[in-house]
Amino acid sequence: MAVGTSKRSVVGHNVTKVDGPSLVCGRPKFTMDIDLSGSLVGVILPSPHAHARIKSIDTSAAESLSGVVCVLHHGNVSRIAHTTAGQGWPEPSPYDTFLFDNKVRYVGDKVAAVAANSEQVAREALRRISVEYEVLPSLLSVDAALAAGSPAIHDETDAEGIYDAAGNVAAAVDIPVGDVAAALAQAEVTVEATCEIPYSQHVPIEPHCTVAYFDEDGRLVVRTSTQVPFHVRRIVARVLELPLHRVRVVKPRIGGGFGVKQEVLLEPVAGALALRTGKAVRMVFTREEEFVSSRTRHPMKVRVALGAGKDGVLRALEMEATSNTGAYGAHALTVLSNVGSKTLPLYNKPHDLRFHGRAVYTNLPVAGAYRGYGATQGYFPLEVAMDQLAERLQIDPVELRLRNHIREGETSPIFERIGEGREGVAQIVRSCKLEECLRLGAERFGWREKRSAPRQRGPLTYGVGMACAMQGSGITGIDMGAATIMLNEDGSFRLLIGATDLGTGSDTVLAQIAAEMLGVPVEKISVYSSDTDFTPFDVGAYASSTTYVSGTAVLRAAQEVRSQVLDVAAAMLRQSRDTLEIHDGRVHGSAGKSVSLEEVGHRAAYVVDQHHIAATASCVPEESPPPFAAFFAEVCVDRETGLVRLERMLGVADCGVALHPRLAEGQVEGAMAQGVGHALFEEMVFSERGRCVNTNLLDYRIPSSTDLRSLEAILVDSYEPSGPLGAKSIAEIGINGPLPAISNAIYHAVGVRLARAPFTPGRVLRALEGKG
Amino acid sequence: MKIQLELNGDPHYVDIEPGESLLSLVRRLGAWSVRSGCDVGDCGSCTVLLNGRPVRSCITFAAKAQGGSVTTVEALGTPQALHPLQEAFLEAGAVQCGYCTPGMVLVAYDLLTRVDDPSADHVLRAIAGNLCRCTGYRKIVEAVRLAARRKAEGRWR
Amino acid sequence: MRLQGVVRYHRARDTEEALSLLAGYEGRGALLAGGVDVARSPRRDVEGLIDIAGAGLSHVKLTERGGLLLGATVTLTELVESRVAAQYCGGVLVETLSLFSAAPLRNMATLGGAVVSAHPWADVPTLLVALGAELRWTDGMERKGSLEGVYAGAFRELFRNAVLTEVRLPPCDGGFAFYKLRRSAADVAMLNAACGLGVAQGRIAWARIALGATPTRGRRLPWLEELVQGEVPGAELWEEVAAQVRAKLDTGDDRRATGEWRRKAAGPLVARALAQAVERAR
Ligand SMILES: Cc1cc2nc3c(=O)[nH]c(=O)nc-3n(C[C@H](O)[C@H](O)[C@H](O)COP(=O)(O)OP(=O)(O)OC[C@H]3O[C@@H](n4cnc5c(N)ncnc54)[C@H](O)[C@@H]3O)c2cc1C
Ligand code: FES
Ligand code: FES
Repeated sequence: MAVGTSKRSVVGHNVTKVDGPSLVCGRPKFTMDIDLSGSLVGVILPSPHAHARIKSIDTSAAESLSGVVCVLHHGNVSRIAHTTAGQGWPEPSPYDTFLFDNKVRYVGDKVAAVAANSEQVAREALRRISVEYEVLPSLLSVDAALAAGSPAIHDETDAEGIYDAAGNVAAAVDIPVGDVAAALAQAEVTVEATCEIPYSQHVPIEPHCTVAYFDEDGRLVVRTSTQVPFHVRRIVARVLELPLHRVRVVKPRIGGGFGVKQEVLLEPVAGALALRTGKAVRMVFTREEEFVSSRTRHPMKVRVALGAGKDGVLRALEMEATSNTGAYGAHALTVLSNVGSKTLPLYNKPHDLRFHGRAVYTNLPVAGAYRGYGATQGYFPLEVAMDQLAERLQIDPVELRLRNHIREGETSPIFERIGEGREGVAQIVRSCKLEECLRLGAERFGWREKRSAPRQRGPLTYGVGMACAMQGSGITGIDMGAATIMLNEDGSFRLLIGATDLGTGSDTVLAQIAAEMLGVPVEKISVYSSDTDFTPFDVGAYASSTTYVSGTAVLRAAQEVRSQVLDVAAAMLRQSRDTLEIHDGRVHGSAGKSVSLEEVGHRAAYVVDQHHIAATASCVPEESPPPFAAFFAEVCVDRETGLVRLERMLGVADCGVALHPRLAEGQVEGAMAQGVGHALFEEMVFSERGRCVNTNLLDYRIPSSTDLRSLEAILVDSYEPSGPLGAKSIAEIGINGPLPAISNAIYHAVGVRLARAPFTPGRVLRALEGKG
Repeated sequence: MKIQLELNGDPHYVDIEPGESLLSLVRRLGAWSVRSGCDVGDCGSCTVLLNGRPVRSCITFAAKAQGGSVTTVEALGTPQALHPLQEAFLEAGAVQCGYCTPGMVLVAYDLLTRVDDPSADHVLRAIAGNLCRCTGYRKIVEAVRLAARRKAEGRWR
Repeated sequence: MRLQGVVRYHRARDTEEALSLLAGYEGRGALLAGGVDVARSPRRDVEGLIDIAGAGLSHVKLTERGGLLLGATVTLTELVESRVAAQYCGGVLVETLSLFSAAPLRNMATLGGAVVSAHPWADVPTLLVALGAELRWTDGMERKGSLEGVYAGAFRELFRNAVLTEVRLPPCDGGFAFYKLRRSAADVAMLNAACGLGVAQGRIAWARIALGATPTRGRRLPWLEELVQGEVPGAELWEEVAAQVRAKLDTGDDRRATGEWRRKAAGPLVARALAQAVERAR
């Protein structure tokens, strides 16, 4: 539910989601919803070993199978180092990946790919490929990978951008500000927390899927479920050695992404099979492959040390992260950097800070982008440490946050020191309603009453905990989004955007911005998004950038189109354009005179001084205003079984002006739901040989409806001056809250600190017993 | 082998593979709304109504539909003329990516056919086998209860 | 659909036809009831499917003495919605099956399928073993035996050439309760327990206690049944039960939980089920 109202006619209102009616009717809008008869099916042979060299590979038995059209492996494709991380250029992730390599680095790594005329034949062909492996020692933990004498996972000589390949360190960061050691030593109180997050998966309900085919001019078309169509085009062109303009990437509707579709996984393989066979090729990950061979969150161990005065005001803040990037370094440096850059500015009182850490290669699945992008890993220990500090000083946790959090007009040195894998950009926080979030949340939640005494009923104890978080809105100076708006001769508009709606509703929000500026209802804006042939460039959907960055581009394009419309209307009305206004689909002049947009469009297209009313505009953000949020959780702990039930989860967020409140709430609710999954259920479990064993949704449990009986988001009134119509971002922040809030709530209930996620009954019981 | 079935009211007499899933069959017959999220019965995204009851089509043999009727969301409404339940899903913000939505709508439809005024708890339990990764379910529950109110007001087909 | 390689699909009109079709495949055929597990099976050697859903095995009947006769292909939804089943033993059958996944699966899965599949984590075997279910099956001859006895033998082998026709539940004269610990509501069990007992003169006259997902399939704990028999139900006894279970229970790890946790949590779980059963017995 949203607090506050808006005076605008389109933004701030819960208009019908532009793709909603067709989605709710199940219209064929997703990648695989097309007639695929005649296309080949592509499948990948996964490595059974965590670490091995391929000595030889014999595909003859597979190739002789009737229906098999093509088998690809390291012996018959070009060797081009690249990264699968779909990021801006120059890419901050190391080039340590090859389409197929003569070495495999985790169970599930690509060994070969087959295209055949049915899935059954293709899978049978996989069974007939015989591979001789030289099995190498596998490094199945960060400690093993860092141990002296461990083999290098990336011993190839043609990889680029690895921090220390021989030492298995993909990336490292050390950002000191002032002298944190001295400040910690001098602080009146210090606390320390070390928290750990295991391997977990995004689990979009639609797995990765791609169809690659050739258009009538022989260009490669890749229809794919991706968050980053323009990066897909660049990476596919690079890996397949095609000129960029010979590749077209089309993004239909996507069935969820959460970061895992910021990776370019199936597209180059499907493209290579299509190139080799000359036929259309479709590929879909099975759910098992989605677990084994796609991407995960970076497992991390993060230590936080806080130094504070007796007044609870922080004087020193140190954070140290050890990240497991798995077999390849996708997002290794940037996720690591974000652990610090998206958390430390929240409490900007200390002058002495340090963030340092490493991202380490292991022979385990590849980590990648995942909603929260490092911040989730950072907030867990930070907010647990804050809870410890509150306890030590006997200050209410809400009050402690109020004494420390950043305010409007303030800054943090971290903004400038840590950026996206390089130096950041200094910025002043222009909107921050975290205080309102904290106060309103505490009131709605009944914080004071519930906090005063944990309720008890038989073996059940109830407890409450809270946490705060911030995030960013796009990547300063790097992200770019562009939009094109055109007037149709009936007075409606076409909005073309490269921005990628992955279910977030960004097509709707961007249409709202255009509609607001052009004085029409949303129904008059036809949105066409994400087709590299037809829409302007956009880096894609990540880093909470779309509303802020692409939205600003839409705003600018709309302003330009509006100005062109006014020129025509001024001529029609014979009035100065300065006095004209557009609303309700008409341009209004003085003396009650007006013309409709249809008349303007008609005149510009057919009558006099014909020209196309259209504009394209871009945005590269100069800052990245953080959204803020406060989270409150209530849990019920069964002291005898260790089972933790979530009674209530409340998130109160400041996202600037909520352009579409219901969609914004939905982002917070969905993100919190994933955070609850992290806290209570989700963990990929590995065998001794490094194989993920819980590769289905029965064994790997994500929250279902009854696990989230009372999960709610509230938005507070706010206005971000640098954002489009006052907006900043909202899509990621919600995932940062549940881990620490639930851990703190368990502590409140039963007095044990759960520092290793998820908080399974086994871990809770063990902690309770340790307490004695 | 050949089977005879009704899909969304239309009779079909079709060739199927003996081991084919109902999911594969209905998609071949053009019901694109029925989508796979796991193909082994764990997620609910492929839910259809078989003889009026929700089942997971990915682990239902197509042959089981012999002589029966299959309903998918295509039978409820069109984008221009939404079913009140679909309308409620949009109004409540229950659709994000929309991938789980057809299955979710059908499970809700089944519930509302059986129960007039379900409590929030009742709705939570009814949809518990259908996974949604986007919404956190709150707005889906709101949608179903909104639709129940509309049904009580006689706005239902 | 994981199953691959099927070339024929038959609909058996009765058990006799099912058996003869099955025999014809010489091990390469499989009976199919709801099909949930058959469809999820990674087997590649099944050529013929024999659908027995229409073989006339879907009755739910109360016997004169208060027992239940359940056809093997009755679906779990039919059981949950059955008035007759609701009357049996304080509704413990309905209570258990309501904790089973969600409606779409209950609409498909059959009782017989659950009994024959006998997943180690499944709820149905645990409950039925505690209730003292008896099975009827045919392999050409009509046969019967206790579910416990069947599970103790090579039952997977047995049902490769036989059709389970009926599950019989004896009249129930005590109180029964079913408890399930799971990570999440639509989840399968990390542990489940079904307990029944009769109370006479303030003491436990008899008890049947079954524990499942340990991680092995539900089975009775005779030593624990003996331990509580003749005792006065109450907090003190439940504490003793919990302590004994913890000391003696054999448990192991699976993908859902560790053996260590199971050993600790099983005691309280059984104690709770017993306490509830006492309430119902009174
Ligand atoms: C997602 C999911 C969640 C589940 N949750 C639970 C739960 O919470 N609790 C629980 O107890 N169980 C649970 N189960 C297991 C469930 O009980 C079984 O999968 C189901 O009952 C199987 O029934 P079916 O009729 O579909 O079996 P089928 O797949 O038709 O058959 C299963 C096996 O039994 C054989 N068979 C079937 N009927 C007969 C017969 N009459 N005679 C001889 N052989 C026969 C078949 O040949 C096959 O080998 C779950 C399963 C899934 C997939
Ligand atoms: S696709 Fe059928 S249940 Fe997941
Ligand atoms: S809306 Fe995306 S999975 Fe439900």
